[in-house]
Amino acid sequence: MNIIQVENLKKTFGENPVLCGIDLTVKKSEVVVIMGPSGSGKSTLLRCLTFLEEPNEGIINIGDYKIHAEGKANRKRRKEIREMRIKTGFVFQSFNLFPHKTAIENVMEGPMTIFGVKPVEARKVAENLLIKVGLGDRCDHYPTQLSGGQQQRVAIARSLSLNPTVMLYDEPTSALDPELVREVLQVIKELAEEGMTMLIVTHEMNFAKEVADRVIFMDEGLIVEQGTSEEMFNNPKEERTKRFLTKVETN
Amino acid sequence: MDATIIIDSLPSLLKATLMTIFLSGISILIALVIGFVTALIRIVKIKVLYQIASVYISIIRGTPLLVQIYVIYFGLPQIGITIDPIPSGILALSLNAGAYLSESFRASILAVDNGQMEAAKSMGMTYWQALRRIIFPQSLRIAIPTLSNSFIVLIKDTSLVSVITVTELLQMSSLIIAKTFEPLTIYLTAAVLYWLVITFFTSLLNKLEKHSSKHLAR
Repeated sequence: MNIIQVENLKKTFGENPVLCGIDLTVKKSEVVVIMGPSGSGKSTLLRCLTFLEEPNEGIINIGDYKIHAEGKANRKRRKEIREMRIKTGFVFQSFNLFPHKTAIENVMEGPMTIFGVKPVEARKVAENLLIKVGLGDRCDHYPTQLSGGQQQRVAIARSLSLNPTVMLYDEPTSALDPELVREVLQVIKELAEEGMTMLIVTHEMNFAKEVADRVIFMDEGLIVEQGTSEEMFNNPKEERTKRFLTKVETN
Repeated sequence: MDATIIIDSLPSLLKATLMTIFLSGISILIALVIGFVTALIRIVKIKVLYQIASVYISIIRGTPLLVQIYVIYFGLPQIGITIDPIPSGILALSLNAGAYLSESFRASILAVDNGQMEAAKSMGMTYWQALRRIIFPQSLRIAIPTLSNSFIVLIKDTSLVSVITVTELLQMSSLIIAKTFEPLTIYLTAAVLYWLVITFFTSLLNKLEKHSSKHLAR
């Protein structure tokens, strides 16, 4: 069963084409890693999927929702996009936690505001989620009192609080000090083992090898090549993929 | 300078100070509402209202408060709108402060990191939910220092309302001086009273700022 199905997705910024017709499917419980040089459109692809950027052309299916890029921007469409976002967890490179709320309040916010869940119940759920990401003892800390790795784990818990059917990660470890990367990837890995469907933009090759069912290589707004991590890393077919991989490896 | 004159005139001056506090308090409340609503109209870009709000802010910021008071109290009766001195004063003061507060609010809302709105939206919040739950609480903290400034200016500006026979602190001082011929003593006493009132308000806002910034303390 496909959780994500994208057809011919196109996006330009002004005169600049960023996505030049992306077709993509992600099956249930599949973990897909997207790699590619900066400017290749990976982040834009993720942001277009939840309409944080409005795509210019194409059809996006996520779960039960099917939204056309060229659809009329009316109330019905906005509502559909909102409902689709609830089902699609999004984790940002810069965490974007709410700084005026404690860790647990960050995780309680979605269920309370969107579903109208009572604070007592939301707190219970949030506490369990924070325990799950290893931060049961940091519930009442404000984001400024947490390390980058801890903040990103709170952000993951915040996304999980709405019971998403799929999680999107936009370079979740790129803003982290090297020693903090592991703890965040560990959480993502555990989610993968539980069967969460995930689409992850990352430069962490070892992580991709460990976790990804499929690796996609993007360049200049197109999917150049895709395959299992073994195929992609040991035996890439396309010249561009090879060049990119050697660059990443020498780093 | 004679201490007995201060003591004798103090009851009247304190009573007038209450009028000053009353004028400031009511005007601040109304100005907050005007400022917030017009800021919102300009952020969300609601058609027509957006233009009206912009013209209002431009006119108020582009003309002296004294002229605005004259227009409202002396000018409007000519077209059949007569407003009593105290409501006229409150109207002029709150319209005036509202325009400045609008700018403060707008700047403080725009100052909140864009990632906050994105995070709220990506969770599935409506624009309004995101503003109310995520953006406004953060922008208020950013706005407090400039709000504090506007409040101080407004308290001082109440003295201008003396020109339309409202017996606030400055007007009362002048009345007492007409009887006692002690301008230095009385005006200095009035100055001290203004200072006390403003210091009190400022310390309240400082407390609010500390309170709203508690999440930034490590």
